[in-house]
Amino acid sequence: MNYAMALDYQSCINCKACEVACKEENGVQLGADKQRIWVGMVEGSNEGKPFVNLYPSQCNHCIDAPCVSVCPTNASHYIAGGIIKVNADQCILCKGCMEACPYDARFIDDTKVAVDKCTFCEHQIAETGTTACQATCPTKVRTFGDLDDPNSDLVKLLEKRRFFFQKEEIGTLPKLFYLVPEDEAYAKQSIGPNTKIHTWDEIKPLYERAAKRRSQEWK
Amino acid sequence: MEIGLSRRRFLKGSVALSVFGGVTLTGPEVLALGKTVNADKPASYSVPTLCEMCVNKCALIADVQDGIVKKLNPNPLFPKSKNMLCARGVAGIHALYDPDRLKTPLIRVGERGDGKYIKATWEEAFEYIKTKMVKILDEEKDNRSCIGYCAGEGMAEHTFKSFMADKFGSANFLNHASLCLQTATAGYALTLGAYGQADLENAKYVIMAGANRAEAIVTPDTMDIFKRTRGRGTKLVTVDPRYTNTAMHADLHVPIKPGTDLSFVLALTYVVISEALYNKVYVKNNFNDFDKYQQHILDNEYTPEWAENITGVSADTIRTIARDFMAAAPQAVYYQGRRSTWAKNDFQLRRAMALFTALGGGVDVKGGIVFGDKLPLENHDINTPLYFNAESRIEGDAAAIVGASGSWVAWRNMVESGETPYPIRGMFVYKQNPMLSIPDTSRTRKMFEKMDLVVVIDTMPSDTALLADVILPECSYLEREDPVRSFPGIEPAIGLRQKVIEPMYDSKPVMDIMRGLSKKLSKPLWEVTKKHDEDVQDELEGEDELAYYKENGFDLTEPYLHSQEELNKHAFVGKHGEAAWKTLRKTGVYYPDMDTSFKKINNNDYQYYPQHKKVYSVLPIEDKTDINILANDFYKSCDPCENPADIAPLKRTFKTPSKKIECYLGNMARKGVDPMPTWKQDEHVDVPAGKFKFITGRHAQQTQNATQNNVMLLELMRENFAWINDAQAKTLGIAHGDTIEISSRVGSVQIKAYPTPKIVPDTIFYVHGFGAKSDGQTFAHRNGASDNEIIEGNIEPVYGASIMHETLVTVKKV
Ligand code: SF4
Ligand code: SF4
Ligand code: SF4
Ligand code: SF4
Repeated sequence: MNYAMALDYQSCINCKACEVACKEENGVQLGADKQRIWVGMVEGSNEGKPFVNLYPSQCNHCIDAPCVSVCPTNASHYIAGGIIKVNADQCILCKGCMEACPYDARFIDDTKVAVDKCTFCEHQIAETGTTACQATCPTKVRTFGDLDDPNSDLVKLLEKRRFFFQKEEIGTLPKLFYLVPEDEAYAKQSIGPNTKIHTWDEIKPLYERAAKRRSQEWK
Repeated sequence: MEIGLSRRRFLKGSVALSVFGGVTLTGPEVLALGKTVNADKPASYSVPTLCEMCVNKCALIADVQDGIVKKLNPNPLFPKSKNMLCARGVAGIHALYDPDRLKTPLIRVGERGDGKYIKATWEEAFEYIKTKMVKILDEEKDNRSCIGYCAGEGMAEHTFKSFMADKFGSANFLNHASLCLQTATAGYALTLGAYGQADLENAKYVIMAGANRAEAIVTPDTMDIFKRTRGRGTKLVTVDPRYTNTAMHADLHVPIKPGTDLSFVLALTYVVISEALYNKVYVKNNFNDFDKYQQHILDNEYTPEWAENITGVSADTIRTIARDFMAAAPQAVYYQGRRSTWAKNDFQLRRAMALFTALGGGVDVKGGIVFGDKLPLENHDINTPLYFNAESRIEGDAAAIVGASGSWVAWRNMVESGETPYPIRGMFVYKQNPMLSIPDTSRTRKMFEKMDLVVVIDTMPSDTALLADVILPECSYLEREDPVRSFPGIEPAIGLRQKVIEPMYDSKPVMDIMRGLSKKLSKPLWEVTKKHDEDVQDELEGEDELAYYKENGFDLTEPYLHSQEELNKHAFVGKHGEAAWKTLRKTGVYYPDMDTSFKKINNNDYQYYPQHKKVYSVLPIEDKTDINILANDFYKSCDPCENPADIAPLKRTFKTPSKKIECYLGNMARKGVDPMPTWKQDEHVDVPAGKFKFITGRHAQQTQNATQNNVMLLELMRENFAWINDAQAKTLGIAHGDTIEISSRVGSVQIKAYPTPKIVPDTIFYVHGFGAKSDGQTFAHRNGASDNEIIEGNIEPVYGASIMHETLVTVKKV
């Protein structure tokens, strides 16, 4: 099992249903900066015409997660399916993981007195097969699933669509797959010139090898 | 706001003193007050119901643990909401557990508006209302219309309305229509026979002008369109003074000067007519008076060059859009839009839009504007009494046609200035907040100050509630059953709002409030009628009074004797049977064959109706033999819905007087309304140097002015900001976050500035709904500014709808 998520970010309308659903589902502390999930926004203008790019984001559940390796107490740890969680009881608030995470996916939840982050709604996967942020989204941006299952909707989608990662070059092997927009103009406007575009065929061996290497820790 | 405890109740040593104005109760304490754990309910259970955080009524499943609503999840069964809940829908829990909720009936003890109230029992509140009503009606000689009433949109609106209109007998009803979509619904209905629904799942070309479906969510439109724009099947053109979240999804965004959309549509029409790009067979079969319209458009020379001067949109762009639209037609829609009435010409604008879509054949056809179907429910007949002395509504002459929901602004203006044909002595307000929702707030306040009795029924201490004599606490949508509702559409369904938990505090559903009120008022008001109504006096002679009173509907209690649950069962079972009723109760949703047609395709896609059962074309098609476009027996060989281009030209029977699409409204001409959409340059409000035009709108994290106190939504948007073109802001020395003062002829506000290239010059925008002044709302209180403090109270001439985008303002840094 290797849980991951594909994001058809072209469909995001920045409605923030996912942010609220995440807070409600997971009892995340109130506060605009207390987010397990957020919509990254880039605004600009091109030849006088304004544009906005939206990047719905959360924890990447990296295969080589620096947040886990820096944690001195093993509060940050892998569980089955390669999901990364924080054990609040063990967290000493050293904030090492927050600094180590390239994606700014972590924050301090004062109600838990611990660092907190997305859990891929691990508590409800068995029951619903998906996450709260996926389910609630009006335009159905997310597809959650298991990379090890060739019949999963996720893998079938990745076989059809090209994708990229955020900050791939840091090498954490992130698992949010951003689907290249079907519209060339939006693809051009929203994907940096140095961003690598991948296909599932091409990247599958790398991700499978890495997952295998980690599998001891995923339980 | 301050609340005193009545001495009597104090001595009785009642429960915790709750003062709204400070957050005295939080978290567990609030929860503990709810009559939570129900003996026959398990510790955790789920209830399918319908959201009421906005008007869409999405289906949801509420999870309850130990009597506390823990989570609201989307219910995948409902075709209209397609397994989604928006931010507001998910945050509904915080509306339920809002510490500032109205908890008991309250009676005013201070001056009107100073916020001093005393807690009361329902009996005391009803008694207070009765005493005043009897006095007022006696003085007004049983003219029932001396008490006005208004309601916000909602599933229980009808229950309230049935009491005030049918039983109590007032003609002065007002709702949001004249502040919202009146001109759009009427413009489309008078032209096409109905407002219809845009089939955004199949349209290939969509013009959204002013409508902002990413931020003003409408189901299923929002879910359908944004999966299909930019290279995915539909071309979306947005036309808006602002670059909205909808515009960011457009294939083409066209910035336009506010108030000039009619000129834009007329020029599109000019291109299509002069280049003969329209669907000739469709027009020949289905248009009435097309010759007149053609002549009108050409004679007036509504050319793209003419429109470029007015709208700021280049003539080339207009030509391209017109040609591309017609190339995609009939699967091409000029999207109807909802909150309309931007300028004085709005009714004409909506007519021109409807006609433009129709020119391509895109009406009553897949991918165009469709009418859909509606599943039946039984009606409940109300025995309506006749009051001889009840006058007709006061503002009936304010516009060419004042409909059943009135002209709020005209009505308010008349009452405020004392220019009514008979005195308006009081008002019942249900789930509406006129203090924030009607342009020119200071006049609205004066209107309420003039009244002898103001009753507000709401869940929250709104700005309007603070002007009431009596405040009656309604329970939230999660604490009540509402009238079962049939939702029309391509995939019609019935949805049920069911009670999730028992009403908290001393709040009640409207049904129960009307039951209590009607019991209290019925007999005393009957005495007033007997005293003043000569018809009744005549008819009563020799009759048994009690029998007459009951037979003729003067017994006001009769429609409210049954529980909502019983009424719903009755409304539903007669049409769909007992088994379906069980399904509806269990799942919250019903449509025929749901058990076999509903399928989960994957986590993101569901099938509701199989393709061949979706309702695209519904109008009766005439001359079935005359389908020479299709060689063989069209009706037997294929499903007409599958071939929109083929079916489009067929001759239909539209629900208009001529049974065709109406280009020329002769009846309207007799009322002084242009029979065809006409641009009136002298009526257009130009922006003089140094001024700005103010426009308003929505966004996706708050619903109008109703949700600003919701702590979850508050953190998504704490206050509103004023958009100003960045280049202009620079010359005025205004930077992001600076406080600016925006002033119009009627008011002035202070708000933070948001300089941006996303708005055209000479235009100021901020989102509607903020700037509440009620200190009963701890979190919403004085966040940002209210648009209606500065919008002038003017109406358009056809329906008396409130003009929202013609106010000129000045801006200065403070
Ligand atoms: S719910 Fe979906 S559309 Fe809304 S902000 Fe999140 S990802 Fe974007
Ligand atoms: S995104 Fe950050 S928090 Fe999540 S696994 Fe990677 S490094 Fe850790
Ligand atoms: S997967 Fe669950 S925990 Fe993670 S962002 Fe989505 S809702 Fe939050
Ligand atoms: S659109 Fe949002 S607020 Fe409106 S009914 Fe649906 S979930 Fe509720």
